[in-house]
Amino acid sequence: MSLINEKKDFKIITDLIPAKSSVIDVGCNDGSLLEFLKEEKNIDGRGMEIDQQKVQLCLSKGISVIEGDADLDLYDYPDNLFDYSILTYTLQATKSPKNVLSELVRISSKAIISFPNFGHWKIASSLLLKRKMPISEKLSYSWHETPNLHFCTINDFIDLCDEVGIRIEKQANLKTNKLNKFNGKNLLNSYFNEVGLFLVSKIKN
Amino acid sequence: MSENKIVELAKEQALVLDCGKSLKSIKTAYTTYGKLNAAKDNAILICHALTGDQYVASNHPITKKEGWWSYIVGPEKPIDTNKFFVVCPNVIGGCMGSTGPKEVNSETGKEYGTDFPVITIADMVRAQKLLIDYLGIEKIFCVTGGSMGGMLVLEWLSKFPEMVHSAIPIATATNHSAQNIALNELARQSIMADPNWNSGNYYNSDNKPLKGLSVARMAAHISYLSKDALHSKFGRNLQDKNSLDYSFDADFQIESYLRHQGFTFVDRFDANSYLYITRAMDYFDVSSSNNGSLIESFKNTNSKVLCISFTSDWLYPTSENKKIVKVFNTLGINVSFIEIETDGGHDSFLLEEPKLFEAMQGFIKSTYENL
Repeated sequence: MSLINEKKDFKIITDLIPAKSSVIDVGCNDGSLLEFLKEEKNIDGRGMEIDQQKVQLCLSKGISVIEGDADLDLYDYPDNLFDYSILTYTLQATKSPKNVLSELVRISSKAIISFPNFGHWKIASSLLLKRKMPISEKLSYSWHETPNLHFCTINDFIDLCDEVGIRIEKQANLKTNKLNKFNGKNLLNSYFNEVGLFLVSKIKN
Repeated sequence: MSENKIVELAKEQALVLDCGKSLKSIKTAYTTYGKLNAAKDNAILICHALTGDQYVASNHPITKKEGWWSYIVGPEKPIDTNKFFVVCPNVIGGCMGSTGPKEVNSETGKEYGTDFPVITIADMVRAQKLLIDYLGIEKIFCVTGGSMGGMLVLEWLSKFPEMVHSAIPIATATNHSAQNIALNELARQSIMADPNWNSGNYYNSDNKPLKGLSVARMAAHISYLSKDALHSKFGRNLQDKNSLDYSFDADFQIESYLRHQGFTFVDRFDANSYLYITRAMDYFDVSSSNNGSLIESFKNTNSKVLCISFTSDWLYPTSENKKIVKVFNTLGINVSFIEIETDGGHDSFLLEEPKLFEAMQGFIKSTYENL
């Protein structure tokens, strides 16, 4: 099941990455984003994927991929090995989003993170009005079978970044397909974006 | 199907070994499959394991069984003999025609026996390089092998990185653990405890150290299997009987199976070779020439690599294979890794494992297409 509007997301992520960058896609799925980035930006790409069937797919496409778990295997990479790390729609399914986030900005100069925004008005109103766990296009699992462990809102994400010393540089608006300079927390942002997609980096001491 | 070939190399200049001694006029027995193309970019080198040999995809002359990797090597298989030129040499120290303890030392006119110099994995690779040079291959498209074969692959990546385009080390390690050494020592002691071993001088005797070698094989065979596989295959089932015999005959199926493994092994393997090759594995540490630094050892490696491990392999477990992946990642080497779930144990690389087939095929095909 794909949670992402691939073409739109791929395009925005591609706009964020300069040509010939080294990139790791954590939770790279069948490798299609890495393939797209290779074609568009001639990147040097690596993948990490927990699902072995998808690892096999990546291998058959010639993508260098590690069968691994974002919660456990990012520690194996040295500091600043990559120019960019990418984590799309995976943060909420990790055991420790905080550690994963810290690891991503440790192993790469910049990280691109996207996640379903639990603060979106439709989701919030499902809870508020129906008293039911929300199910939407972006959150398509029932509460009892979801692989997602840690839902957050865009504002929660911004707070976590603050807490672990991460600077948010840009935020994408997937409706207008635009990248914007990040101007701090605001309620409208968390109300009306179904997805949070951010470019972040570690604040250097 | 390939005929066995034997070539004599290092005829003028002797090969200097890690132990300080040197070997001249080294014989290497090998098989090839497929054809080397005009660009000479389609060669695949297969490195066999401890008790393997050059009969990778053709019937064994002694056991008459099909090649040990026929599942992986052949037309339309992952190592596609319609497409690739496959080379599989018997390692030096081996006993299927390459220079080793059971061959005659031309200087003395007698079998080497334990006068054969103690060789290392690096020495085996140096001898393989002579063969690759002789075949006119400047860059090998892919070097692969499991277990000890994987150690040879790592040694190739470390010592001759410019000659290796891609590599698939399987179920292996960068060095032997204390547990690995202990198991090999058990095997060696059982051979040397056999009075017929006679300090390695048995080639002209009617009594060969078959019992010792057989016990060595039994012990090793246990380490190639997983507890679960042994349990599901044999359990506590009795062999051709309904009750215990209250004797030391083979009451249990597992006993009978191991005895069979031991008995049949001695027909095709030389006891001294077993001593020499297990020693080479124990001495193996790919970083030994770089003061123990794996990073230094692979700093010139620029190959595309796929590392493969098996969940139930306790001899060369996933953790050992992941060590290799970690080093390669650190160096920015194009490395992939897959851990195949199976109860087949260490021997899984020799079994008909569809996930191994798929991973190797995907990697080899896409790597060759992007050459």
